Amino acid sequence: MGPLLRTVELFYDVLSPYSWLGFEVLCRYQNIWNINLQLRPSLIGGIMKDSGNKPPGLLPRKGQYMANDIKLLRHHFQIPIQFPKDFFSVIIEKGSLSAMRFLTAVSLEHPEMLEKASRELWMRVWSRVKFSSEIPIQYHAAAEKAGMSAEQAQGLLEKISTPKVKNQLKETTEAACRYGAFGLPITVAHVDGQTHMIFGSDRMELLAFLLGKLKIQH
Amino acid sequence: MGPLLRTVELFYDVLSPYSWLGFEVLCRYQNIWNINLQLRPSLIGGIMKDSGNKPPGLLPRKGQYMANDIKLLRHHFQIPIQFPKDFFSVIIEKGSLSAMRFLTAVSLEHPEMLEKASRELWMRVWSRVSVGLWESSGRTFDDFLTFPRNVFRVMILPSPLPQRIYCPPVTPLSFDEDITQPQSILAAAEKAGMSAEQAQGLLEKISTPKVKNQLKETTEAACRYGAFGLPITVAHVDGQTHMIFGSDRMELLAFLLGEKWMGPVPPAVNARL
Repeated sequence: MGPLLRTVELFYDVLSPYSWLGFEVLCRYQNIWNINLQLRPSLIGGIMKDSGNKPPGLLPRKGQYMANDIKLLRHHFQIPIQFPKDFFSVIIEKGSLSAMRFLTAVSLEHPEMLEKASRELWMRVWSRVKFSSEIPIQYHAAAEKAGMSAEQAQGLLEKISTPKVKNQLKETTEAACRYGAFGLPITVAHVDGQTHMIFGSDRMELLAFLLGKLKIQH
Repeated sequence: MGPLLRTVELFYDVLSPYSWLGFEVLCRYQNIWNINLQLRPSLIGGIMKDSGNKPPGLLPRKGQYMANDIKLLRHHFQIPIQFPKDFFSVIIEKGSLSAMRFLTAVSLEHPEMLEKASRELWMRVWSRVSVGLWESSGRTFDDFLTFPRNVFRVMILPSPLPQRIYCPPVTPLSFDEDITQPQSILAAAEKAGMSAEQAQGLLEKISTPKVKNQLKETTEAACRYGAFGLPITVAHVDGQTHMIFGSDRMELLAFLLGEKWMGPVPPAVNARL
């Protein structure tokens, strides 16, 4: 429990609303807890395929529940998240391959910009507050909003279809699968030689417990 | 938020581990928060069928995750929950129809016993501590909470978990117990404090139309609230109804009720220690 910095990896995809919630909570806590937060852009489609799972929203009652759930969590988590009007065409059909390759390029070339760039993409898919619709995503605009120069943004866009970036995204997604992922987000905490994989955005209190941040009440 | 008592319904099935976790948390908070907790025994199999969903444990990676998850939550929630040795046979094949009909009968005839009776059935399926050393010592779930910490120091799991965790001894002889046979249900009922006559009387009511229909209606009510699994918690607040799925949204429930969340083991419970 002492001053040792523990690594916490977050595997996420901007297609996943709960990934955004988990992301923001961990970003808030990275400066409060003694953790080294490592952001890992991944492909949720690849994880679904590899695990045999299906997007929960495809089951009608689950989709209905998620829509309500997101409405409530918006207020509880204070994140401007909203279900896109055309959820299926946006989320399921179009997918997130380019977006996650873009973030992978950012993670390789300008890792210090990864947090902001990820947030900008989530804002475009999951927050109608600012954007009427931005699919396909205007990466230049997102990158510049995240603080990159026009040249930096252009450079990154050119790298999206290079083998290096494609392979990195593939490897990160496979790493998530090896940790046991059947969806996203997953948070992997490395604590005292042990590895704990936690699924979802609603287990952050358990994460705190594992990190020794919570004391047993007496 | 004012002195108004808000109704919180918990729909659950003893086959569902997360139902047990949600149940214990709500039981702990019912005396802290200004709520009227209504327990609703339901049939998870019926909900799965009606919603087109499937038990998560059937997907290998989800089953693996659940096994680990339960191990961690045992300590975080301080509930002696453990995966049955033969998960598939106990949970998927044998089911819970008789057990949930029994609890339905309890809810109709002796509602004040429903909490304890439910707990005893969960203990049989989801807790190895109900057999062997633990059982022969005559200890109950309440004792688990009140045991002096010294007794368990040697039983504590190694770090990284905090040192002061109560972890009841698990004997090599322990095994999860059946809940489908009449004798099993009677044993649970007596453990919950019912007399042999009361228990027998309730058991006889299991196959009456009244009890069968009540279980069916409760399960359908859960479906109408949008359930695709269990547990679901339905909070009635200021004329609005909120359905929350799972045992990991209790903090959100607190937020909706305008109450304070103090973790899965609130201090009032530990005041007994």
